[in-house]
Amino acid sequence: MTAPLSKRIFLWTFVAIAIVTLSAPTVVVLGASFTAGNMIAFPPQGLSLQWYAKISQAADLRNAFLRTLWVALVCTLVSIPVGTLAGLALAKYRVRFAAAFQVYLLLPFTIPLIGSGIGLMLVFGDAGMLGQLWPVGIACSVINLPFMIWAVTASAAGLDPDLELAAANCGAPPLQAFLFVTLPAVAPGVITGSLLMFILALNEFLVSLLLTDARIVTLPVQIYNSIRSIITPDLAAISVVFIACSGLAILLLDRLVGLEIFLKSK
Amino acid sequence: MTRSSNPYPLRWRVLDALDAVAAAVWPRSMASATPYLMLLPAVLLVGLLVLGLWQMADSSLRTLDTTTFLFSEDYSLANYRRAVTEPLFAVVAWRSLLAAAIVTLVTLVFAFPYAYLMVRTRSSRLRKALLIALFLPFFIGQVVRAYGWLIILGNQGMVNEALGLVGIPPMRLIYNYPAVLFGLVQYMLPFAVLMLTPALTAIPDELEAAAGSLGANWVRTFLHVVLPLARPGFIGAGVVVVTLSLTDFAVPAILGGGSQDFIANAIYDQFFRTSDQGLGATLALMLVALGSLVVGIVFALFGAGTLAVGARR
Repeated sequence: MTAPLSKRIFLWTFVAIAIVTLSAPTVVVLGASFTAGNMIAFPPQGLSLQWYAKISQAADLRNAFLRTLWVALVCTLVSIPVGTLAGLALAKYRVRFAAAFQVYLLLPFTIPLIGSGIGLMLVFGDAGMLGQLWPVGIACSVINLPFMIWAVTASAAGLDPDLELAAANCGAPPLQAFLFVTLPAVAPGVITGSLLMFILALNEFLVSLLLTDARIVTLPVQIYNSIRSIITPDLAAISVVFIACSGLAILLLDRLVGLEIFLKSK
Repeated sequence: MTRSSNPYPLRWRVLDALDAVAAAVWPRSMASATPYLMLLPAVLLVGLLVLGLWQMADSSLRTLDTTTFLFSEDYSLANYRRAVTEPLFAVVAWRSLLAAAIVTLVTLVFAFPYAYLMVRTRSSRLRKALLIALFLPFFIGQVVRAYGWLIILGNQGMVNEALGLVGIPPMRLIYNYPAVLFGLVQYMLPFAVLMLTPALTAIPDELEAAAGSLGANWVRTFLHVVLPLARPGFIGAGVVVVTLSLTDFAVPAILGGGSQDFIANAIYDQFFRTSDQGLGATLALMLVALGSLVVGIVFALFGAGTLAVGARR
């Protein structure tokens, strides 16, 4: 059965506008990073890699990028055990007050980002931890934790509880059953979750803006500070780093678990 | 195992030792408490947010003495009075609420055809392409995306340069309300589509075929079969888009250029421009309340939609 022409035209009109709107910034940033001119202009003034050469020399951008990577790494390393354990507990066991736990663990999503960011800023400020990078990683982990828990519970739902009983029946003590039966079974969820956590922390802007000072800005904050003055193509070149990371994350996600995982009806 | 001569491999010894340690630390008799132990780290981590709310509540009750720049020792509701009565905050709140409503409407209108095509297409390559077009901007982050829009729409941006080639004087395309709305729609589209797709996947193909064989054209099938059945998806997507656009910071800051502040920008300014932590905390708490209120109203009117499924089991 092929759809009637009018339906296809209707759908494709909206989808085409959506695709153009979604992709335009990415395409333009990519294009601008290769410009030979000093300003971003239309029509383009020829191709060159000069802006990449320029950013490879810029120590402040490189350091900001390394700091961002560190924040994303801290966030991911904290989120994996915390989110995996919580997700498994919610999916596998009959937890008393499970609904209350779920509402509580969804707080990072229900509290607006600016509220979470300000709150964490006050808490870390009181504890004298501001001005360091690892609290930023912790903060990123807190605000995105529901993604990790969601990814793990989604894949734990397909875990057959009999498998763990079988392992126990074969003599596996609890820890070994967990390490060799439970964990591999939810591995796709853990992989999806940690990729999401890493890429979201890499991009996290508002919480970084609130928790960092001028000495330890992360790359998104650095870009934000710069685009408020003059827009030059070197920022486009450094933004390509994010586009590349995003592309890589999608590729990994697709290879390891398949993007179609997001289409499933739950 | 690495040393085949050894009848009992090293790895087994290590694991047995670990299990012995685990059994000593957390004996079998406490097995019923295991799930709570597994939840504990997450509860503590999210506890940081609760602590933050508590600190904000404390700050919000202290007023700033503008002569000494110290905060009062005693509690008062003066900040709340200022937040409610000052016209500036009313303007900002109204601007954010209106934006949230418009952005949600427009985003849902565009998200539905996108999600529908993605779910229903029989070409797996098209499906993958649509997914990639969705995830690429989602993973790139707000700042870089807003930067892209500045290049396109800025005063010396591509659109104005192109218009200049045909003799049209430059127009002011950014730093106004429509630009912020546009930027927000683009930011929200992936969220909305991803919340809609599970609901659409759950609608069997055969239902639409049945409607068609009973004589309904596709418009009627959409209106009377697909859209009503997709309601949980619309609610889930709507709630996510409303709350995220109501509380957004980066898009109004970058594409609004300081002239189109939303509530989040006003809060930021209280902390970092006027250094009135008390008033800033008050506004932040009121935003938390406003967001919860909006979500509560939607849930009360329409139910929890796909978000309820998101609350597992």
